[in-house]
Amino acid sequence: MIHFVLLISRQGKVRLTKWYKPYPQKERSKVIKEISTLVLSRGPKMCNFVDWHGYRVVYKRYASLYFCMCIDAGDNELETLQIIHHYVEILDRYFGNVCELDLIFNFHKAYFILDEVLIAGELQESNKKTVLRLVTTQDSLVEAAKEESSSLRSIIAQATK
Amino acid sequence: MALSGMRGLSVFISDIRNCHNKEQERLRVDKELGNIRTRFKNEKGLSPYEKKKYVWKMLYIYMLGYDVDFGHMETISLISAPKYPEKQVGYIVTSCLLNETNDFLRMVINTVRNDIIGRNETFQCLALTMVGNIGGKEFSESLAPDVQKLLISSSCRPVVRKKAALCLLRLYRRNTDVLNIDGWSDRMAQLLDERDLGVLTSVMSLFVSLVSNNAEAYWNCLPKCVRILERMARNQDIPQEYTYYGIPSPWLQVKTMRALQYFPTIEDPSARRALFEVLQRILMGTDVVKNVNKNNASHAVLFEALALVMHLDAEKEMMSQCVALLGKFIAVREPNIRYLGLENMSRMLLVTDVQDIIKRHQAQIIISLKDPDISIRRRALDLLYGMCDVTNAKEIVEELLQYLNTAEFAMREELSLKAAILAEKFAPDLSWYVDVILQLIDKAGDFVSDDIWYRVVQFVTNNEDLQPYAAAKAREYLDKPALHETMVKVSAYLLGEYGHLLSQRPGCSPKELFAIINDKLPTVSTSTVAILLSTYAKILMHTQPPDVGLQKQILTIFKKYESYIDVEIQQRAVEYFELSRKGAALADVLAEMPKFPERESALLKKAEDAEVDTAEQSAIKLRSQQQTSNALVVTDHPPVNGVPASNHLTLVKMPSQNIAEESNVTYEEPPVETPKENGTPVKVESKVDIIPETNIESKVEPPTSQPASQADLLADLLGPLAIEGPPAAVEQNPVQGLEANQSPVGDLALATLEDQSNSVQPIVNVEEKFHILCSKDSGVLYEDPHIQIGLKAEWRAHHGRLVLFLGNKNTSSLVSVRALILPPSHLKMEPSSVPDTIPPRAQVQIPLEVVNLRASRDVAVIDFSYTFGTVLANAKLRLPVVLNKFLQPITLSPEEFFPQWKALNVQPLKVQEVVKGVKPLPLPEIASLFMSLHLAATPGLDNNPNNLVACTTFFSETTRAMLCLVRVETDPQDRTQLRLTVASGDQYLTFELKEFIKEHLIDIPRVQASSPPVPVQPQLPPAAPATYNDPGAMLAGLL
Repeated sequence: MIHFVLLISRQGKVRLTKWYKPYPQKERSKVIKEISTLVLSRGPKMCNFVDWHGYRVVYKRYASLYFCMCIDAGDNELETLQIIHHYVEILDRYFGNVCELDLIFNFHKAYFILDEVLIAGELQESNKKTVLRLVTTQDSLVEAAKEESSSLRSIIAQATK
Repeated sequence: MALSGMRGLSVFISDIRNCHNKEQERLRVDKELGNIRTRFKNEKGLSPYEKKKYVWKMLYIYMLGYDVDFGHMETISLISAPKYPEKQVGYIVTSCLLNETNDFLRMVINTVRNDIIGRNETFQCLALTMVGNIGGKEFSESLAPDVQKLLISSSCRPVVRKKAALCLLRLYRRNTDVLNIDGWSDRMAQLLDERDLGVLTSVMSLFVSLVSNNAEAYWNCLPKCVRILERMARNQDIPQEYTYYGIPSPWLQVKTMRALQYFPTIEDPSARRALFEVLQRILMGTDVVKNVNKNNASHAVLFEALALVMHLDAEKEMMSQCVALLGKFIAVREPNIRYLGLENMSRMLLVTDVQDIIKRHQAQIIISLKDPDISIRRRALDLLYGMCDVTNAKEIVEELLQYLNTAEFAMREELSLKAAILAEKFAPDLSWYVDVILQLIDKAGDFVSDDIWYRVVQFVTNNEDLQPYAAAKAREYLDKPALHETMVKVSAYLLGEYGHLLSQRPGCSPKELFAIINDKLPTVSTSTVAILLSTYAKILMHTQPPDVGLQKQILTIFKKYESYIDVEIQQRAVEYFELSRKGAALADVLAEMPKFPERESALLKKAEDAEVDTAEQSAIKLRSQQQTSNALVVTDHPPVNGVPASNHLTLVKMPSQNIAEESNVTYEEPPVETPKENGTPVKVESKVDIIPETNIESKVEPPTSQPASQADLLADLLGPLAIEGPPAAVEQNPVQGLEANQSPVGDLALATLEDQSNSVQPIVNVEEKFHILCSKDSGVLYEDPHIQIGLKAEWRAHHGRLVLFLGNKNTSSLVSVRALILPPSHLKMEPSSVPDTIPPRAQVQIPLEVVNLRASRDVAVIDFSYTFGTVLANAKLRLPVVLNKFLQPITLSPEEFFPQWKALNVQPLKVQEVVKGVKPLPLPEIASLFMSLHLAATPGLDNNPNNLVACTTFFSETTRAMLCLVRVETDPQDRTQLRLTVASGDQYLTFELKEFIKEHLIDIPRVQASSPPVPVQPQLPPAAPATYNDPGAMLAGLL
């Protein structure tokens, strides 16, 4: 299973963290620090896997961002690598040519999408269309609620005038 | 750029981005946190929108690495919000911020449950996702049934069901009891018929976890998995959206093949055939293509297929295909594929008969050891380590030593440890081993742990032939200008002990040795100074005739350190100074160090410890563990043989005791004066002197007057005893092994032994080996001049798997090999067939499956025989399948322990006995004795410092896992007695466990009244001396 997912920028800034194993808060920052140093120092021609305390970190760099997932040593590394790519493809379709800024200002969207791709550290859906459909449905639910509340507010505002 | 839709949040993020340095960022964050805190305080004025916005900001700040230690309540409370936008934020941020252990989570269990069982599909999804991501034990207790219902409900849409499947997986991982196996295997089979591939993918993840825990229960699902694979491989009926770069869901394929690896075998011929067709298609049909993603996906499937083929141990044809593929992979440029090729080749080492093919790739693997990528180098190192054996050890170890020069720091320690282990395991001769270790210390002293140099000292101490060589080598190194401190330690130690053996060589006179060692003194740390002082004392002692000049020099140094600040050094200096003026007495005190008892290499243990345990057992991991221990046994031999001293040391003792008793020879035992370790040989010799006519020296051919060899006599005696094992008899003579030694064996017993003179004698102490294997899981069971029998065992609950390794040591075959296993009634043993012939220098493996039906102390026996030339050899060996193998230590908290202890307060379930004649041990030693029996002594359960409480779980087919509780109350006045209380849920188990513990606690066999009063016998090393001779016991008596 995937123990955690980290998105780290070239500068070492964290863009997303998701923990599927119960790491205490202190441990989390330690892990992030270790993984950043480990992954950022690796050259471009190296393989996508690094040993880390008996686990494997599978990572891939997309432009300025490193997507990292930690798995057990016996797990299938390439499968995990393709989960990363699958996630990136969905982000790309959702944002339309995704870039780091998208993920900074819409970090919550990145979380929504991740929750549709992974649960319990396992792949939930490999169909990109289904994931995108679900995420846009969520968006429209939020939009609808917003409109409703703003229209309500205007009604109240008018009534109290 | 899409906007977040929350202006305040976007502004805050921009602000942070505009900060020029960390300090500014911190100020901005603090300001925001202060703001949020005040807004949360007067919550009334907060609109849901604002609340949502602040919670997002908190998550963002948290992601930046700041502590967010407030607002958790507000976040969680959003879960209970009626509207979707707030609820969504509540669920998602909660699952990011909090851990499953957070107490706040408990408060929302009800809300979450309502969302799960409610009608709103979007709410269901949110709740399932959060529980799936952070659900803990409490969630699993209260929500599992509802989640199950959703998964199997036909009215739920796939979007809910796939989430339910993974949510259930999470809950199952937290608590495996949430799924009742009986009902679930059928349900699972139905679920695997799922047409929606999204749901099926999630279901398959759940299934992998279920079978990894209990494959037996899910046999009915096996054909379904094969069918799924077939469907994928043929690309039948796979919607376009579920193909990934043209490959039908690689994830589902990988998971399905993973699940299949948890089944021991696939017996159904049609399923097997179908599966192999699929695997063949994957192995043959995977090409390297340009698109990297397609390539990765297809190879993910391919590597999983390789693992499955290895697991199923397929027809040799397919296996050789696999090896060929891996051989190709480890030579490619693409780093991922090379990495995985190396990794899988390591796994491949487990498969029999391919080692030789893998060895052909050695050169290629060594190239990867020099790759710029550390990940690849690590895999290459693992592989080289795994494939090393006697044939290639020299080459590989030398390669590792060379690599040590350039390896980065991160790898040096591992590298030197591995090189040291390989050198020890496979040394063609011991001098080479010494060479390697000294080179290691020389090249990478900082990374050579103390264990490594301790080990080399042990070897040298135990092997007289090696001592001059090692001393000479150490002397050579001392000539080097710059020397690592570890090297100073080891050379000083070796020269102190064995430097005198070199005295004839140039540059090795005591004076010169002292001078060159003393050169290092000013620069070394205190721990080394201590060793140097001992070395000086030893040099002084060995200087015959005494050299006044040298003595003066050394005494000056001792004098100088008499006021040294470090107590250890000060004491040594004072003592050595005084001792060195005692003249001849010095030689006694500073005599050569005694031989070390044979023990498991600390290095191997260290290497095993270094392997981190991962929570979920993967099939591959299990097998790779098997591999390490496998290697251990098969190759344990050279070092063991390399210590001939211990062989003759232990051999003679037991028979000699027998004979001493039989012939009623009484003699005065010389008082114990030598150190424990080498105390025994002295006594043995003394006995040999007393009864010279029986001629029991082991090296001598068996006496013609005695019909059978002593050792065989032993085995024969033990055989029937062990099989029948009547409890009464055992009670009388608590320690079976000792009984055999000490019970007065009449002439009759000797006469009944087979006339056929068995001229083959074991060259190891069979009894001792058996005892060692009772607490260890691998090692040598038996060895004689022609054959060595090694044993490796693995235990899981009430199942065990033994492998006997029969190694022919000769250059001609052993024929008519028979190994008849006589299991006691409580063990089900399924041996595989034994080959009639063992070819020269070959090793055959006999796997043996064991099932423990119930508790018993009876022992299985293997009646083993073979013919070599005209000699028929026969031995009855006890197999170390003893009660403690089915125990798993467990530590209980007082809250868990006391209810159990009280609940078992019924007579046959809990029994108590005052045990007398116990070997007087301090409590910590009883605790460690218990630990070796897999009973976990748990402090804190009994406040009385003289008592000890231990817990364990016993596994058998009838009792399944059963908790056993043990309490020992010792009497500080009289350490030879104690009160033992044993409790478990099964009266039979309680009784057996009590007797079993007693056997280990009691030491002095109660000699029957008829036998003559025998003076205290020197016991085997594991057995402690008798009470009244033991200083500890006498002390206890005095106090």
